Amino acid sequence: MKGRDVADKKQSLKIGISGVRGVIGDSLSPQLLVSFAEAFGSYVRGGKVLVATDTRTSKDMVKNAVFAGLLSSGCEPVDLGICPVPTILIRTKYAAASGGIAITASHNPSQWNALKFVNKNGLFLNANQAEELLDVYHQREFYKCANSDMKKIRKDDGAIDFHMEKVLCRIDVDRIRSRKFKVAVDCCNGAASLVSPAFLERLGCRVIPVNVEPNGIFPHDPEPIPANLKQISEVIRSKKADIGFVQDADADRLAVVDENGDPIGEEYTLVMAVDHILGKKKGPVVTNLSATRAIDDIAENHGCKVIRTRIGEINVVENIIEKKAVIGGEGNGGVIWPAVHPCRDSFSGMGIILEYLSGSDLKISGIARNLPSYHMVKGKTYCETAKAHLVVRKFKDLYRKDKPVLLDGVKVDFEGHWVHVRPSNTEPIIRVIVEARTRKIAEQAYKKTMKDLAYLLKRS
Amino acid sequence: MQPLKIDISGVRGVVGETLLPEMIVNFACAYGTYMKSGKIGIGYDTRASREMVKSAVLSGLISTGCDIVDFGICPTPIIQYMTRHLKLKGAIAITASHNDSNWNALKFIKSDGTFLNFYEGEELLDIYHQGEFFKAAWDRLGRVSEYDDAIDIYMGRLCRYLQPGKIRAKKLKVAVDNCNGAGGRATKVLMDKLGCKLVLINEEITGVFSHDPEPTAANMEQLSSVVRPIKADVGFMLDADVDRVAVCTEKGVPLSEEYTFALLADYILSKKRGPVVTNLSTSMMLDDIAGKYGVKLVRTKIGQAYIIEQMISEKGVISGEGSGSVAVGDFQHASDGFLAMGLILKMLAEKKKKVSQLAEMLPRYYMVKRKIKCSPEVMYSAIEKVQDYYKAENIDLTDGIKVAWKDHWLHIRASNTEPLVRVLAESTSKEKAEELCDTAVDRIKAAI
Repeated sequence: MKGRDVADKKQSLKIGISGVRGVIGDSLSPQLLVSFAEAFGSYVRGGKVLVATDTRTSKDMVKNAVFAGLLSSGCEPVDLGICPVPTILIRTKYAAASGGIAITASHNPSQWNALKFVNKNGLFLNANQAEELLDVYHQREFYKCANSDMKKIRKDDGAIDFHMEKVLCRIDVDRIRSRKFKVAVDCCNGAASLVSPAFLERLGCRVIPVNVEPNGIFPHDPEPIPANLKQISEVIRSKKADIGFVQDADADRLAVVDENGDPIGEEYTLVMAVDHILGKKKGPVVTNLSATRAIDDIAENHGCKVIRTRIGEINVVENIIEKKAVIGGEGNGGVIWPAVHPCRDSFSGMGIILEYLSGSDLKISGIARNLPSYHMVKGKTYCETAKAHLVVRKFKDLYRKDKPVLLDGVKVDFEGHWVHVRPSNTEPIIRVIVEARTRKIAEQAYKKTMKDLAYLLKRS
Repeated sequence: MQPLKIDISGVRGVVGETLLPEMIVNFACAYGTYMKSGKIGIGYDTRASREMVKSAVLSGLISTGCDIVDFGICPTPIIQYMTRHLKLKGAIAITASHNDSNWNALKFIKSDGTFLNFYEGEELLDIYHQGEFFKAAWDRLGRVSEYDDAIDIYMGRLCRYLQPGKIRAKKLKVAVDNCNGAGGRATKVLMDKLGCKLVLINEEITGVFSHDPEPTAANMEQLSSVVRPIKADVGFMLDADVDRVAVCTEKGVPLSEEYTFALLADYILSKKRGPVVTNLSTSMMLDDIAGKYGVKLVRTKIGQAYIIEQMISEKGVISGEGSGSVAVGDFQHASDGFLAMGLILKMLAEKKKKVSQLAEMLPRYYMVKRKIKCSPEVMYSAIEKVQDYYKAENIDLTDGIKVAWKDHWLHIRASNTEPLVRVLAESTSKEKAEELCDTAVDRIKAAI
């Protein structure tokens, strides 16, 4: 087998700190799901547990397995139906619940599904909590509820409205409404399909919905990167929309397309959000090591500091809370606005960006053009998991003089560019990200890095 | 060892002890694999564990690519009827029937509305034990649809069958103890269609039964206390999924559950002659009734599947058990409490006699039933040890030990559904029946 095949095979089931993820009809069986739900029910020791799904075709199979496990472990499942991931996170915090389970494989293709576990504060389990849950799962001594104590499944139809209100009450709805924006939105037939058009209408937008059938059959790869945005680009051009939004299947990430149909790049969703929020309220910004340097430039303009964290949403979220950040997120289009809730939320993202646009004389392309310009190159090289850490350590030695940051892999900041090299947690690869002022420098630096790694690989 | 029974009756266990969601998912996957996709019905009784069991069953069936028709809270005979009516591939009834509310169970039904027979049950168990279930791909998973009209459709059909003109004319008053089971709504529809005035007790869905749901004379205390004051013509006690019924007379006297089948066998045979099928433990009344009409009586092992299978192959007109279950070949091949209630009401209307009078007309025997709690791992060997005592007699080993003498018989067997040894004796004299039972119980206890 070639490296890629091995990687795919190894990847068909992943049980880790971000939950359990697998392929339907293959590794993600109802038996496994029931056991995980029982483990979670035992871990939170009963009480209400909110359950939501995205639109995947496997949602009913997974959801019923989760219900069976939760009921059996003495919990009261609360069925939120199909709803975005930020919605269940927010609802869990305010519902006096013990926790929640989000059934979604986020940006993975249709045949995948996953369970993501939420604590009572509406945050994904952190590394320690996830370890505890995994211990309960592996020990397999789940709480077993008797018939007389068994709870019923409750329905909760109010979670989406609750989430929308939380966003709307924090933005200038009247000003946005007065602009009567024409907005195209591509929900990728995901969890936002029934939510985003209504949300944008409440902001007085004329909405052009694209892929809003909540059937879980994704019309394109649901990762909101420029390669997957062709369809909305054409719609924007033909319908002359002011702006286009693209959400992933569980609506935590957001990409923006300008009025010409050109993708702004998912890295810049957070940059725009940071610029706008710091303009309203000063405070720390939190993002991970790999996000663009444009964020540092913007924060500096506003006289604010940027705190960099390890990769992984929960690391960003925990730092946002600890450092009392006013805005934060990830370069993959994940905007976190703690005023609403410390989680990636594409609705917060849309609200912030529309508010930004409504207060500006520029079109969205003009706003994007005024942001500090960087070019990023992302890539990977195959490397056995056992060797990956060794190679990355040697890479650090190679650049010892340049004061590498060792928070997560190795990040080296040079004058005009930076390089981030990190072994993947999930695949036998080393990820490489390079960013520079110009494409040429970025590509040169990327080539140099790959050459370094190839050399180190051979010597390891 | 905690109680769990996996056998021809399906899989039965105590929720929170042995009947756990992983196992239910595995059984649903095994059944879905066995059925090779297609539409599968599901229905359940009112136990609090119903949502847990149902969710596990749904998840398993969906994963094997079966589409599901969900009948909701629904008595087993109605699920069986609808399986045939809607031409489903099969169905799963989620009910531990007459067991206490802390139990639950899966009963597997095939396309003709009957339960899996012994060999089919074995095939299903093989798939379950092998653990290699069919896994449908993400775009071939089953879908769930809810079906709300089952009770109305079934009752329409039952009433056409009963031709209830005479019942309606009598305006009978009926007391029914629903025992907080699945039969409440359907009973109301039935009595309304039959023009009967209904007093329904223990109607509420509480998830935990207010008394032992086994329809026996001993469990009819509450019903019998209601019948007289309200001047009901008859009282019926249902179990949780309405496959069994026991009868209480207009005087408030609970009849032994043996009478439900005996009364109806006598009535049905008076209209249509043909073979009668029952099990080894059912009263000698049936031998007398079959003799009276000159028809064949076939006795089988204990278990609805055995009886129904014999009924089909023998073209029986009626079958039933002393536990209060009755099936009539013309209507459907399933034990059906609604049919039994309807026919008893029709009998009252036609014969112009009281229930107590009809019961008195049947031959009189005394039956004694005992249960001995027994761990499953010693149950069968204990029964085998006791066999020696009865070697010299007329002994039948089809299902446990049945010994028959001229005026009495004794039956010792392992329960299909609970960790119990059952001892039954029947005789023309009460003392003899008790003596037979007492001796057998002592011998079993000694063997354990």
